[in-house]
Amino acid sequence: MRGRGILLGALSIATLVFLLAPIAVLVLSAFDGGKFFRFPPREVSLRWFVAAYESAEYRRSLANSGIVAALSTAASLVLGTMAAHALVRGGLRRTALVEAVLIAPLTLPLIVWAIALLQIYARLGVSGSLGGLVLAHTVVTLPLVVRIMMATLAQIDPSLELAARSLGARPLRAAARTTLPLAMPGLLSAGAFAFLASFNDVIVSTFIAGAGWNTFPVRLYSQLRGQGVDPITMAIGAVIVVAILTLVLLGEAVFKWSRKL
Amino acid sequence: MNGARMMQGRRAGAVLLVPALVLVAGVFLAPFLLLVLMSLWSQPQGSLLLDTTLTLKNYLRIFGDPFYLRGLLTTVWLSLAGTVLCLLLGVPLAWWIVRWTGRWRGFVLALVLIPLTCGALLPTLGLVNLLGPLGVVNGTLKALGLIDRGLPLLGNQAGILIGLVQAFLPLMVLPLVTTFGRMPPSCEAAAMSLGARPPQVWRHVLLPLAAPGLLAGSLLVFCACLTSFVTPQVLGQGKVATFATMAYQQASQVLDWPFASALAMVMLAILGLMGVAAWGLGWRLGAQG
Amino acid sequence: MRDGVRVRASLAAALFGSVVLAAPAGAQDYSGQTLVVGTWGGDIERLLREHAAQPLEEMTGAKVEFLLGGSGDRMSKLYAERENPTMDVAFQNIYEAPQLLSDGLVVAPDEASDAYKAVWPGMNNGCYAMSLVGLGIAYNKDLVPEPPEWADMWTPDYHGMIAMAPYPGSEGDGILGVAARLAGADEHDADAAFAKLAELGPPALTYTSLDEVFALMDAGEVAMAPMISGYVLAALKEYPGIGFAFPTEPGPVLIRDMVCQVANSPNPELARMFIDLALGAGTQKAYAEEIMFGPTNSQVEISEQAATDTINTPEEVEGLLQLDWPYVISQRADWTERWNKQILGQ
Repeated sequence: MRGRGILLGALSIATLVFLLAPIAVLVLSAFDGGKFFRFPPREVSLRWFVAAYESAEYRRSLANSGIVAALSTAASLVLGTMAAHALVRGGLRRTALVEAVLIAPLTLPLIVWAIALLQIYARLGVSGSLGGLVLAHTVVTLPLVVRIMMATLAQIDPSLELAARSLGARPLRAAARTTLPLAMPGLLSAGAFAFLASFNDVIVSTFIAGAGWNTFPVRLYSQLRGQGVDPITMAIGAVIVVAILTLVLLGEAVFKWSRKL
Repeated sequence: MNGARMMQGRRAGAVLLVPALVLVAGVFLAPFLLLVLMSLWSQPQGSLLLDTTLTLKNYLRIFGDPFYLRGLLTTVWLSLAGTVLCLLLGVPLAWWIVRWTGRWRGFVLALVLIPLTCGALLPTLGLVNLLGPLGVVNGTLKALGLIDRGLPLLGNQAGILIGLVQAFLPLMVLPLVTTFGRMPPSCEAAAMSLGARPPQVWRHVLLPLAAPGLLAGSLLVFCACLTSFVTPQVLGQGKVATFATMAYQQASQVLDWPFASALAMVMLAILGLMGVAAWGLGWRLGAQG
Repeated sequence: MRDGVRVRASLAAALFGSVVLAAPAGAQDYSGQTLVVGTWGGDIERLLREHAAQPLEEMTGAKVEFLLGGSGDRMSKLYAERENPTMDVAFQNIYEAPQLLSDGLVVAPDEASDAYKAVWPGMNNGCYAMSLVGLGIAYNKDLVPEPPEWADMWTPDYHGMIAMAPYPGSEGDGILGVAARLAGADEHDADAAFAKLAELGPPALTYTSLDEVFALMDAGEVAMAPMISGYVLAALKEYPGIGFAFPTEPGPVLIRDMVCQVANSPNPELARMFIDLALGAGTQKAYAEEIMFGPTNSQVEISEQAATDTINTPEEVEGLLQLDWPYVISQRADWTERWNKQILGQ
């Protein structure tokens, strides 16, 4: 058993290294002072971190990305969890078609769909609005949430909720006290995926976002052909990575998260 | 519960589905129907405006030329291979995270999530650096004496597969961690105390319990690989035609929207056939098992 | 009767006064309105913001917002939004602009305007010409000791070591035009062009960002690449091992960035004013000095260093290879398929 544990551990660490190696390259290249993506870095410098801090345009685009992602994640978590609940526990018999419709947005390259959506928005006169952008992002993140919550809810015994209700709790309170805590890891995963999918989306945002709502990935991609990757984006990426890891470590130390999950 | 209460429960259950369906119908299906219609339109020579007379010429072009079908089927192949590789790597990793990381579980999960936080392009450029002829991978292999000349890991399907797995493995691991996390260790112990050996424990006890998570992870990875644009474009160095690269080229560079829509429709038809086949297979296996 | 005359007189005076006061162009008040300009990001956005957007904002009180993206995406957006455009000004490439005019998505350049007349003659097709660059050859100085000519790309030593930009694009069309001429024809003979270009072998890579091609060229994996002068010249300082050549047989291909006024846009007058500023001395000079994009405004004076690096005199313009862009554009769908199959070997 011990031997197998060590083998599993070695394989897992190797997989983690494989997953993170390109990220390490990215983070380390942010310290190169040159204007182009270069690894290993030739001259170590913090100039791009400073430039990122000082750039009002990048700050604004990060804020835009964050706002749109937060709004669409909230919407898709609510709608997606409700839909997953209905599919798993609603007692419905023919769910295959509904499931196919709910996963369909993930099967199309977004470019084709975004162009069609823009034509419809333009005809309705709402192209460029924040609401239109958030709706588009919600549709794109909804399938992720639905699939993950379906898997999560399938593992939670429905009789827990029924027991609470039979003891007199009203349906919503029963769900909140029994199913919700057990579903929390799934909700967090779904929320994380939805947020990241929306934050990093470039195609839908390029077409649907209005001029005041340039998001961070749109800004990144908009200069690739003429100038290459802006090193500011690598500095920002490095900061995001370090921030997430630090936050998680702090959360673990202070809240002891892993015990609750 | 009597029959009337059950019916009420069923309708109440279905009601929760309505908001999501309304959103999808309005914001996804409406443009989708426009795409179906556009696939039957065409563009007059010398203009990028759309001629709305119905015609099948886009479909005839796709089926008359193996180039496009080959691109679509290559994409399906790469997506299936990517999903299988993610399963092979993801299941052990998820299992290890749930059973062996203890207090560090949150941190390791954050590490697994990190590749998704940087978008598609930057990690892919990092991978290009690593897989290049003068990159770390070839350099290490040469230093270890395993190869003489650099392995071509860019500009072909191998590089794209590596990139797809690196990009989308987190989509497999997180649902699996959630699923495995809900499976108490006592299940395995109980099965083994009854005399089952580990492979049997896996096949008859653990796998069925983990099925929802495996299905969720596999679907997410498969779809992500299918529509991935940056990975095949950058790691394939433009030499491998995939669904997303063809769709992007036709939709946003050539601006032949009818043709791009037709490509999407043909791909959906292929996926539909696969879905029906998988459903039939699952039904047959279910009947036997 | 006298009161009536006096009222009419004062009315007339008031009208006359307001007309006189409103006459100086640009002193009108557009506050509360937003001009939307579609352009590439990076230095181009920065220069336009400094030299065209900010002066416009000060002059008129309107706000200028930039919509960032690549030109293909921007063009798709123009077509998709045709019913209700949100963009007022769009920057496009020479291989896109004539199509926009023939499909009625942009307003034809106003031949009577000063801005139009300041631009080199014959450049304003489809939209106003914004900057001039040439397609030349970027090369690795170790592998290619002398600044190369177009024909040098076909040397067997470099087979499979040429990097290409994504197609469709101005680089691809440009190199096809060159290949056709080297084969004794011109871009109207697609068979000759593609056959000659295919002799180079599959490209070492199709780059989506400059970092990719420069890194590989610096490492010696890529020997040469047909690239646009403005992009490469700006990067040469970072990569001493990479050089850039303007060939002579035939000359560099003339490529232009264009600035277009979108038809039926929300703010046409502001759009015209922005275009005037973009084509004006301030912006054109900054383009030449900072990013090595040659001015289309024939009356602009630039420093000597910038003059050597950019195309800015009639003689230099004469020496450039001009393609029949409307023809090239009409072949785009067909040539894209041929490029995928014959050049990329997909």
